[in-house]
Amino acid sequence: MGSITLRKEVQEQLERIKTADILIGIPSYNNARTIGHVVRAVHAGIAKYFPDKKAVLVNSDGGSIDGTIELVNRTAIEDFQSILLHHRIEPFFKISTPYIGIPGKGSAFRSIFEIAAALDVKACAVVDSDLRSITPEWVELLVKPVIENGFDYVAPLYHRHKYDGTITNSIVYPLTRALYGKSVRQPIGGDFGFSGSLAKFYLTKDVWNTDIARYGIDIWMTTEAIANNFKIAQSFLGAKIHDPKDPGSDLSAMLAQVTGSAFGLMEAYRDAWKQVKGSEAVPTFGFQYMVGLEHVKVDVNRMLTLFREGVKGLREIWLSVLGAGDLGEVEALANRPDREFRFPLQLWTRIVYDYALAYHKRRLPLEHLLKSLTPLYLGKTASFVMEVEDMGQEEAEEEIEKLCREFEQNKEHLINNWT
Amino acid sequence: MDDFLQLILEPMKEVFSKFKEFTPNILAAMTILLVGILVARIMKAVLLRFLRAIKFDSWSDRMGLTVVMRKGDLWAKPSIAVGSIVFWLLLIVSLLTGLSALKIHAIDNLVALFFLYLPRAFSAVLILVFGYIIAGFIGRAVLIRAVNSGYHYAKLLAEAVRLLLTVLILAMALEQLRVAPGIVVAAFSIIFGGIVLALAVSFGVGGIDAARRMIEKKEEERGEDKKDIEHI
Amino acid sequence: MGDFYQTGVITTLHSLGKPSLERLETELRQFSSVRPVALVLPALYSEFEGPAMPKIVEELAKVKYLKEIVLVLDKASEKEFRKAKEFMSPITCDVKIVHNDGKRIGEIYDTLTRNGLDVGQRGKGRSAWLAYGYVIGRGQSDVIALHDCDIVTYSREMLARLCYPIVNPNLDYVFCKGFYSRVTDRLHGRVTRLMMTPLVRSVQQLIGPHRFLLFLDSFRYPLAGEFCMITDMARVNRIPWDWGLEVGSLAEVYRNYSPRRVCQVDIAMTYEHKHQALSAEDPDKGLMKMTIDICKSIFRTLASEGTTFSDGFFKSLAVTYLRNAEDTITKYEADAAINGLVFDRHEEAKAVEAFTRGIGMAAQAFMENPMGTPLIPNWSRVTSAIPGILDMLKKAVDEDNK
Repeated sequence: MGSITLRKEVQEQLERIKTADILIGIPSYNNARTIGHVVRAVHAGIAKYFPDKKAVLVNSDGGSIDGTIELVNRTAIEDFQSILLHHRIEPFFKISTPYIGIPGKGSAFRSIFEIAAALDVKACAVVDSDLRSITPEWVELLVKPVIENGFDYVAPLYHRHKYDGTITNSIVYPLTRALYGKSVRQPIGGDFGFSGSLAKFYLTKDVWNTDIARYGIDIWMTTEAIANNFKIAQSFLGAKIHDPKDPGSDLSAMLAQVTGSAFGLMEAYRDAWKQVKGSEAVPTFGFQYMVGLEHVKVDVNRMLTLFREGVKGLREIWLSVLGAGDLGEVEALANRPDREFRFPLQLWTRIVYDYALAYHKRRLPLEHLLKSLTPLYLGKTASFVMEVEDMGQEEAEEEIEKLCREFEQNKEHLINNWT
Repeated sequence: MDDFLQLILEPMKEVFSKFKEFTPNILAAMTILLVGILVARIMKAVLLRFLRAIKFDSWSDRMGLTVVMRKGDLWAKPSIAVGSIVFWLLLIVSLLTGLSALKIHAIDNLVALFFLYLPRAFSAVLILVFGYIIAGFIGRAVLIRAVNSGYHYAKLLAEAVRLLLTVLILAMALEQLRVAPGIVVAAFSIIFGGIVLALAVSFGVGGIDAARRMIEKKEEERGEDKKDIEHI
Repeated sequence: MGDFYQTGVITTLHSLGKPSLERLETELRQFSSVRPVALVLPALYSEFEGPAMPKIVEELAKVKYLKEIVLVLDKASEKEFRKAKEFMSPITCDVKIVHNDGKRIGEIYDTLTRNGLDVGQRGKGRSAWLAYGYVIGRGQSDVIALHDCDIVTYSREMLARLCYPIVNPNLDYVFCKGFYSRVTDRLHGRVTRLMMTPLVRSVQQLIGPHRFLLFLDSFRYPLAGEFCMITDMARVNRIPWDWGLEVGSLAEVYRNYSPRRVCQVDIAMTYEHKHQALSAEDPDKGLMKMTIDICKSIFRTLASEGTTFSDGFFKSLAVTYLRNAEDTITKYEADAAINGLVFDRHEEAKAVEAFTRGIGMAAQAFMENPMGTPLIPNWSRVTSAIPGILDMLKKAVDEDNK
């Protein structure tokens, strides 16, 4: 299996490099505008924090046509002095290669894992190629816990606007925490550190031709690491500022992909999550500081409208998934005036679990099922936005903590009905 | 006198000999029918036992097949319903086979026609079944898409699409069965066209204002720097 | 008339002053437009030939605040089913009769059984449970009221008072049980007076205060078959299908809801329904079975809350119970005396003896098989296992009633 996906020129490079201590992977697709900065940050980070280690940068590209690959190869740090480097620098290798496999981040990662395995690296990290807020410190924060503290998986911890990342905040984080018992705050962060042995473990799984490879790779990596009892940590990286995602991108599709991946993984690990009760904190590295964040506009009215339209149009589907009792509560909720609209946490918890159950029982074509969650999700998001409007960051975080506890307390509902 | 007797006896002898000719055929037909009934009964019993062993009824309950039967006011157990269908099919086949043993030309033709028709009937059933499933699938997909886009008449649109597809499927099935094909085509065109026309008119008339507002809004939005929350 | 003492941990709604039926029914009509009410009547066909049913139908015909009535008819042929339908015709609201012995409902029971859902034997519990399913499936009623069909002194005031605490949206009750005195020329209600209450108090003496026992003891007539609840409860509660029905239902209410939202209401001056023969020997008949099932229900609930039972416990229980029951007889003797009621001490003592034996048998049965009589699975569980079951049930009942 191993070297089939690597091109011949890459294999030649690998033979030259032989082994390495650290590997930093950057998956890319038409990111010529931003990838230069990322590469420079990585290079500086390695030079500053791991000067005595042999490092490799791998750019796994999805067939860019804007010169991303060439740019990576050209980028170097112009002025070493300004990044405060005093030590002798070990050789730093760059491999930039298009990956083979179905299009998507997963295939990019697979190439990265394979190179990591081939070079028998001790620690790896992957970062997004459109990061504008990446600094050399990110390299240290993601790699050091692996190299020095023996952790296998380092998840990112960002300081985000209280309104951002609502899919994570209202579904993925509470669900993953309740299922697998670890409080990984950003399970689909996008920037991770992991050990060489974890990379090899990932390669043993045959998911590279499934939807996981297309868009579920982040949640998959996190879940696999937790469910297989690898040592987990998280590192505070500061703000995550990347290129704004295309506003035309379909929220419904995104939501379906993320939840579909999470629910799909529940099938494979049902023995693991059925045993877990409660959750525990995960060791956190990095100095947590407040970051000034841009104000974010939210169109709550539109969300509420879409929620109410959903209540009208998707009633039959929701009846078969949620049952008459919860549907009745949702309908009652839709009739509340906007100012009093508050989505009860317990109701939302049961909704997410009911969707997981419906996914498991294949009651409907899966894509239809997952997309029908969108209006409910928008209702929850609108409610959250209105609830935390006057709250600070920490208070808003406490609301999310309440939701997580609700997920943990209601886990029985999921377990009892999972047949 | 002899001639007269001959005149009477001749036709009777003919009838008698025709009867003698025909009797074995009738006996053969009846035997085939009886054997057919026996075979059908045995097959039904075997099938029922098999279905019971694989817990077909339970499966049907959970898959929703039983609900469909009940909605049609059919209260037999699903396995028994399947058994009955198989029984009657086998019975019909043996009946037809028996009829062909009579070696009556006209009946032979009918039987041949029947067997030729079976594949058409079968494919018509398939069209209906798959068509029903596909119409439901597409209707639901349209509904979800429309709702998630905030379209106010999402349900109406989805129902219209489902109706259109159902009309299409029915027409296709009828065409397979060669039931008055000319009329079916004409009726289908009228209905289908009518629905499409009605949709277009209602959308056009009712939607003029909405369309104008949507276009104006899009122009506005392109002007503003709209930053929404990042869901991911 | 009684007092205004609040018993125990639940709310007691007394009959105070001169409550007006007119006012009650007017308010109910108003409230029921927002919280529609379904009335469930478990009935045997023989009751249609009894003295109570005509009065009940007559009264119900005057009730204007019910959304639907679901009568579950047991032990009736097709002809008798039609006759029952005819009998109910004076009632104007939507009346549906569930023909338990009919082909369609039979298929429904079969469907449940073959999917591993044990709904128990024929009886009031199973009938009520099926009716709940129909009401849930229709999705039209928020409140379910239930009473028997052998109440000879039925009046619609009883129904009104039963429904009121639940239907009134300003009161936050989810469950309401009726209580009454069963007195003619003598005291009736032996099982409650002489078995249930002394038993509950004896168990409390032995194991100390227990919240469930406090809850149970708060009810003035825990074995009353008249109650009213929100439909959600019918979805979630698992009820026993044997005689432990009433106690088991109370146990489920206790398990799933806070006692603050539970109440009992005084529903009648006199109340009369059929009497069970006290068959002292045969454990399967009459009050003996009732005793055993009720005791098992109590033991099971306590066990599920963590109480451990032993042979020693049951021995002590027998003795304690006997003492308490004898004391109770003395109390009621005085009560009967002052009210000029007939009181046969010997009969009462015989009953207590029989109950003691019953408790012993229940204890034995419980120790041998603590899981005992399984509860009917709740409707949430059933619809999860067979998604279309409510549609099937609806269709069956609707077709039967065409």
